[in-house]
Amino acid sequence: MIGESRRAPGGGRMSIGQIEHELGRLRTNGDGTLALRSSVLNLIVVTDEESANEITTSVSKLAGRYPARALVFVADPEGESNVDVGLSAFCHARGGGGAQVCAEQITIRAEGPPAAHLESLAGPLLIPDLPVFLWYPGSFSPYSPEFAAMAELADRVILDSAASEDYEVCLREIAKLVEDPATPAIGDLQWVGLSPWRSLLADTFGAPERVGELEKIERVEVLYAPGGENRALLLIGWLASTLGWKPERATRNDGDQTVEFSGPSGDISVELSPDSPDARLRRIRLYSEEYSFQVSRHRAFSDVRTTVMRGEDLLAERTVHIGSFDLGVLVGEEMGYRGHDEAYGATLRTAVEVLDL
Amino acid sequence: MADTRVLQNVLRDEQRLPSVPEPGVMVIFGASGDLTSRKLVPALYDLAAQRRLPLEFAMVGISRTEMSHEEFRSKLRKTLEEQRSGEVSDDVWESFSNGIFYMPGDSKKTETYDELKELLKKLDSERGTQGNRAFYLSSSPSLFPAIVQHLGESGMNAEENGAWSRLVVEKPFGRDLKSAEELNAELQRYFGETQIYRIDHYLGKETVQNILALRFSNGIFEPIWNQHFVDHVQITVAEDIGVGTRGAFYEEAGALRDIVQNHVMQVLCLTAMEPPVAFDAESVREEKVKVLKAVRPIPEDDVESYAVRGQYERGWVWGEEVPGYREEENVDSESVRETFVALKLFVDNWRWAGVPFYIRAGKRMPKKATEVAIQFHASPHTPFARDDTEGLEPNVLVVRVQPEEGLSLKIGAKVPGSGFEVSSVNMDLLYGTAFLEEAPDAYQRLLLDLMLGDPTLFIRADEAEGAWKILDPVMDRWSRERHVSFYPAGTWGPGEADDLLSQDGREWRRP
Repeated sequence: MIGESRRAPGGGRMSIGQIEHELGRLRTNGDGTLALRSSVLNLIVVTDEESANEITTSVSKLAGRYPARALVFVADPEGESNVDVGLSAFCHARGGGGAQVCAEQITIRAEGPPAAHLESLAGPLLIPDLPVFLWYPGSFSPYSPEFAAMAELADRVILDSAASEDYEVCLREIAKLVEDPATPAIGDLQWVGLSPWRSLLADTFGAPERVGELEKIERVEVLYAPGGENRALLLIGWLASTLGWKPERATRNDGDQTVEFSGPSGDISVELSPDSPDARLRRIRLYSEEYSFQVSRHRAFSDVRTTVMRGEDLLAERTVHIGSFDLGVLVGEEMGYRGHDEAYGATLRTAVEVLDL
Repeated sequence: MADTRVLQNVLRDEQRLPSVPEPGVMVIFGASGDLTSRKLVPALYDLAAQRRLPLEFAMVGISRTEMSHEEFRSKLRKTLEEQRSGEVSDDVWESFSNGIFYMPGDSKKTETYDELKELLKKLDSERGTQGNRAFYLSSSPSLFPAIVQHLGESGMNAEENGAWSRLVVEKPFGRDLKSAEELNAELQRYFGETQIYRIDHYLGKETVQNILALRFSNGIFEPIWNQHFVDHVQITVAEDIGVGTRGAFYEEAGALRDIVQNHVMQVLCLTAMEPPVAFDAESVREEKVKVLKAVRPIPEDDVESYAVRGQYERGWVWGEEVPGYREEENVDSESVRETFVALKLFVDNWRWAGVPFYIRAGKRMPKKATEVAIQFHASPHTPFARDDTEGLEPNVLVVRVQPEEGLSLKIGAKVPGSGFEVSSVNMDLLYGTAFLEEAPDAYQRLLLDLMLGDPTLFIRADEAEGAWKILDPVMDRWSRERHVSFYPAGTWGPGEADDLLSQDGREWRRP
């Protein structure tokens, strides 16, 4: 990929007309020809000064898969009233013709009262007729009027349930949002990050003679790193909601947690242990009376190994790439999906039931 | 009472998780060939690494070369490493290649199939492949009938207890209508048509599939996609390369068999077909076959009015002097084999009555280009003073498949100034470059579809035969004549190809 970042000089408070004009100028190539704008969606990001650079990098990476007009808001409600606009374009050439195609980024630093009314800045800058994604990479206050006003502009809201300090509160809040018919569809980067794990776990039951074992699961072990609690909980929430397990009791012991479920064919005991130093999720193992099914991070961290055992016999084994958990990749995955994610909703409900025990 | 519930893997039953095929084994005949190491295995490796293959997957290679499993695996790994140095993960390769097996054997001998059957049975029990098999014929086409017969007689064609048995056939599907019918009859003696997957990797390309997306997901094009609005259609499939080391093959095949019968006919079908009721195998293929059936037969006594064959001479391509076809390796110095074909076809149905489809395909053209150009009728009346609209041409909508996938529309626009001068402007949309991400390799897509049991992007028997039927009169005539028109390498074909259009008052566009 050949790419070029272009930046407009100046800044400060610009009018909508000036912004559009400057963006057009940014698309002008060195030889006077005009690069095309290519956009499949609008992306609004609300972040803070600390994360702004990292977010800009992710947004420019996203331009490869989902060329967009990106509106990045760096909001600080504390400061003096101020609005500062920065414009940049990420242009690339591909193929032999040398034609340039650009994706645009508008960075708006809003301080003081304007920070509470970002929707008034975002709305007029959206490209018409294209869907709007609203992404909060960090913590967010789902019940604030600011959030509601921004969500109203969006077709889909992308959140990170691990971004806030208290993941339990965060999961409960998202669960409420998901149930609220007034909120647009919600995506969670932690849930997207679970997709490879879920798919690999599903693979272990791909053989017809083992499908029946799904009903006979007795015990589950999950190893995760500090910071991976909510991913572990979501994984369990997914298994339980899919397999019809009902949470009954939870006990804690030195950081380890045991959750008892009642399933259609018996009780299931789930142990969640925070003893992996390096990966948010290290391993999940499911036991039935005869079999064990395991998906675990491999010694090379980009890989993950799957095994199916009956007693001591290794029935199937495979190592594959786990895929990238880069922020840009996860957000990209989320953008590929439209509509409400029923499985995520059911998972959240179960996860909250576990938290309520 | 027995438990009769059909058990389902509910963990997989969700739209956001990718579809993964059922357990199974792929058996490749002619496994020591280039296709296996350069295309099939890299595609399978990528599918495996990206978690798209089932846990219980195995591959068996068969060819006459004596090799151990280990030698076969290291040969495959070597080619894979050459293709992507440093990107092959040791652990992923090891676990993938544990499922690769090799069996030396003569595909004409019964013993080979007894041995294969034993091996597959063993894999079913050791690797859990569940009796599902895909037999990939990547050997010389002359061996296809023997392999299919032996597979049938050994019972490996049978689909028992819910297991599947599929047969994959690489092009060419015969070398004329008669041989295609014979081949299909041979295949169908032992395998049902729903078990047969004829692969033309061209259909696995995202860009080719995009023709369908463009036509059938955009309501604005369909109403004008017919004889009321379209003057004619030009389909170009041009390559800048010569025959290279494939001289011997090309002497046998020629452009008509190599490109036109398959790739070009597919593009014609996708361009001219009616909207399918659903994007499934039968609906899509049914509509494609209808197009082929509607193509007006070329009269054998008047082939020259509809078809031109050309051959490249020495010339310059992209700043480099290149040899003529007759100077290429393994080519007869007096060969009349065509490296270029131009055709004029009519699709005689309600939609396309009277609209000529001009087709050209060839090697050593100025650049690599695949495109479909729809030229619309000129506007019936122009209110502007005649002098001011000189140079104003009819609208042309071009669907470009390569090099830069996109769409361009030639429209008339006012030139700034006090008069009313109107001139043609090209509106170019590079929807290909809108998405920077590399599209998956065509073989990856097709092998996955094969294992998932979706034949939509494979060729049905009557499709292959339909395409031959159109070309048969041309091939018959050319086989009896020794005339070929020459064109210098690096040009758009011989003058006769231009005449084909100029006699209708039209001309080829420059891609």
